[in-house]
Amino acid sequence: MNKRRQQGILTGMPFMANVAPRTFIDDMGRKLFLAKHPKRIISLAPSITEMLYAIGSGGEIVGVTEFCNFPEEVKTKPKVGYAQPNIESIVSLQPDLILAPKSFVRVDLLKKLEQLKIPTFILEAHTVEEIMAHIKLLGRMVGRSDAANEQTTALRKQISELSDRLKGRTRPRILYVLNSDPLITVGPGSFIHHLIELAGGQNVAERTATPYPRLAMEEVLRQNPEVLLFPVGRFEGIPPAEQDQWKRWTTLTAVKEGKLFQVESDLLNRPGPRIIQALRQLVSLLHPDVLQDDRVAVER
Amino acid sequence: MACLRYGTQVIEFSTIVKVFTQVILDRAVSSGETDLTQTILLDVRLPRLLLAFCVGGSLAAVGVSLQALLRNPLADPSVLGISSGAALGAAVALLFGAGASVWSLSSLPICAFLGAVVALLIIYRIAATHYGFSIYTLLLAGVVLSMIFSALITFLTSIADPNRAFGMMAWLLGSLTGPDYPTLMVLILYLGVGLCVLGSQAQSLNLLTLGEEAARSLGVEVERVKKLVFFATALMTGAVVAFSGVIGFVGLIVPHAVRLAIGADHRLLLPIASLTGGTFLMVVDTVARTVLSPAEIPVGVVTALVGGPVFLYLLMNRRAQLIT
Repeated sequence: MNKRRQQGILTGMPFMANVAPRTFIDDMGRKLFLAKHPKRIISLAPSITEMLYAIGSGGEIVGVTEFCNFPEEVKTKPKVGYAQPNIESIVSLQPDLILAPKSFVRVDLLKKLEQLKIPTFILEAHTVEEIMAHIKLLGRMVGRSDAANEQTTALRKQISELSDRLKGRTRPRILYVLNSDPLITVGPGSFIHHLIELAGGQNVAERTATPYPRLAMEEVLRQNPEVLLFPVGRFEGIPPAEQDQWKRWTTLTAVKEGKLFQVESDLLNRPGPRIIQALRQLVSLLHPDVLQDDRVAVER
Repeated sequence: MACLRYGTQVIEFSTIVKVFTQVILDRAVSSGETDLTQTILLDVRLPRLLLAFCVGGSLAAVGVSLQALLRNPLADPSVLGISSGAALGAAVALLFGAGASVWSLSSLPICAFLGAVVALLIIYRIAATHYGFSIYTLLLAGVVLSMIFSALITFLTSIADPNRAFGMMAWLLGSLTGPDYPTLMVLILYLGVGLCVLGSQAQSLNLLTLGEEAARSLGVEVERVKKLVFFATALMTGAVVAFSGVIGFVGLIVPHAVRLAIGADHRLLLPIASLTGGTFLMVVDTVARTVLSPAEIPVGVVTALVGGPVFLYLLMNRRAQLIT
C-alpha cells in the first residue's frame, strides 16, 4: 500500500507533467496546441515583449516591432514592422510562435500566417487582471510558470498595496489629452481609462461609449477636470506648444492650479508588467503625498 | 441663435440673451469667477459657430466660383481634389513643421495654400484641354487627384508616429473644434481677402459662364480674371482646410440650391450662397455636436452623408444646364 503510493508519486508525477494542458485559447477564441515550448518567438506588441522579458524569456524572442524599446537589450533584436508587419521578414526568422495584439493585426495577415503554418496567438489585455492572466499563460507556454507566478504575485501585491493607500481619498477629475484638435481622449474600455481609475482618478470622459472618443469641449468645461494629462514620449505625444494652448481655458481648475502634467506614453500605453510603474507615475501626480515615503521605488 | 442654444446641454434663450447683454453692456468681463455658462457660450460655442459659418460660407463661395470658371456644375473643392491638395500641404506642415501644432498660424495655412495651388493648376491644365469640356473628365481627374493626394497623406501618416497620425487623421475628417478668437481673426483675414477678390470678379464670372471666347469678346480680361479667381479659391480652400480639415460637398450642394432659388447672377449668387453655406454648416455642425453627446461626430462625415447623395442625384439627372 505504502509502496504503491510511493510508486505513484514516482511514476505518476512525471507522467502528469506530460499531459499538463498544452492547448491554449487566445483572446479571439482560437485554440492553439503547442507540443513543445516555443524557442523562437516573434512578438508584435511592446507589451507582449515586456511580458516575455519579465518572465525571463527574452532570449527566446527572435523578432519584435519597431516600438519595442524596453528593456534596453530588445533594441538589438530584428524588427518586423508593426501595423503591417513584413511577412517575408517574419518567415525568414523561422518563428515557432507569433504573439500579436488584437488591435493592429489584420485578418489577412492572420490568414496568411495560417497558410504558412506559423502558429499565431492573439493577446489583448485591457485590465490588470487580464495582464496577470496573460503573464501566467505565457509562463505556461514557454515553460516558465514559476517565474510567471512570482511576477504576478509580486505585481498583485504592489498594486493592492497602492490601492490600499488610495482608499477613501477623493478622486480628482482627470482629462487625458490624446489629441487636442479635435479633442480625443480615452474612454471606458481603454487601458488608460482603467489605469486612471486604479490610480485614484476619475476620468471626465467616463460617460462616453467608446475607448477613444472625441469629446466636446463643452463637456470638458462642465466637468471641470482638476488635472490635465498629456502623453509625451519618443514616438508620440502632445508637443509643448499644443499643451500651452490649453492654458486659455481659465475656468478649468487644472489650469488655475497649474496641473498640466506630462506622462510617459510608452509606459501608459502598454498593458504589461510595467503597469506598476505606470500606476506609480499617475499616483505621484494625482496623489503626490501617497508615494512620498517611497520616492525611490519608481524604477526606470 | 438656435445653434447657440444646443450642445452638450441646452442653454435657454433667456440665458443666452443675458450673457450677451452682459458682455455688451459691461465690456470688462467680470474677472475672478467666470460663469461656466458664459465660458461655454463665448469661448466654445460662439467661436465654433463663427468658424462653421466662415468655413461654410467660404466653401460655398469657392464652389460657386469654380463652377463658373470651369463651366462645370459639379465643381467643388472637395470633388476636384483641391481640398485633398490643401490637406496634403497641411499634413506636411503638421508632421514636419516646426512646433507641429494645428494652431501654428504661420506654416500651416501657407502649406495648405500651396497644396491647393498645385491641385488647382493640375485641374486647370486638364480643363484647358478640349477633353476638359466634358464635365465628367474633370470629375474623374478630380477623383484621381484626390486619390493620389490621399495616398500621399496615408504614406505620411504611416511613417509618422502612430498617435500623431491618429490625431491627424481625425483632424482631416473635418473638425470645427472651437478656435480662440485670435486664430479666428487670422482665418477671417484670409477668407476676407479671398471673398473680396471673388466678389470683385462676380460680373466677369457671369460673362465667363457664356464661354471664354464670348467673355473675351465682351471685354473681359479672361486671363487676369482666371488668375485672380484661382488665387482666391486656392487661398480660401487652403485656409479653410488648414483650420478645419476637409469638409466636403458644402461647395456643391449650397450653390445649386441657391441657384435654383435666385438664378445664376453671380453678383447675387456669391453673397447669398456664402450666407447660406455658412448657415448650413452651422446647422450641420450643431447636429454633429449633439447627436452622440458628449462625444462628437466629425463634421466632414455629416456633410458627406448629406452631400454625397445630392451629388449622385445631380449626376443622374444630368442637370448640367443649371449652370447657364
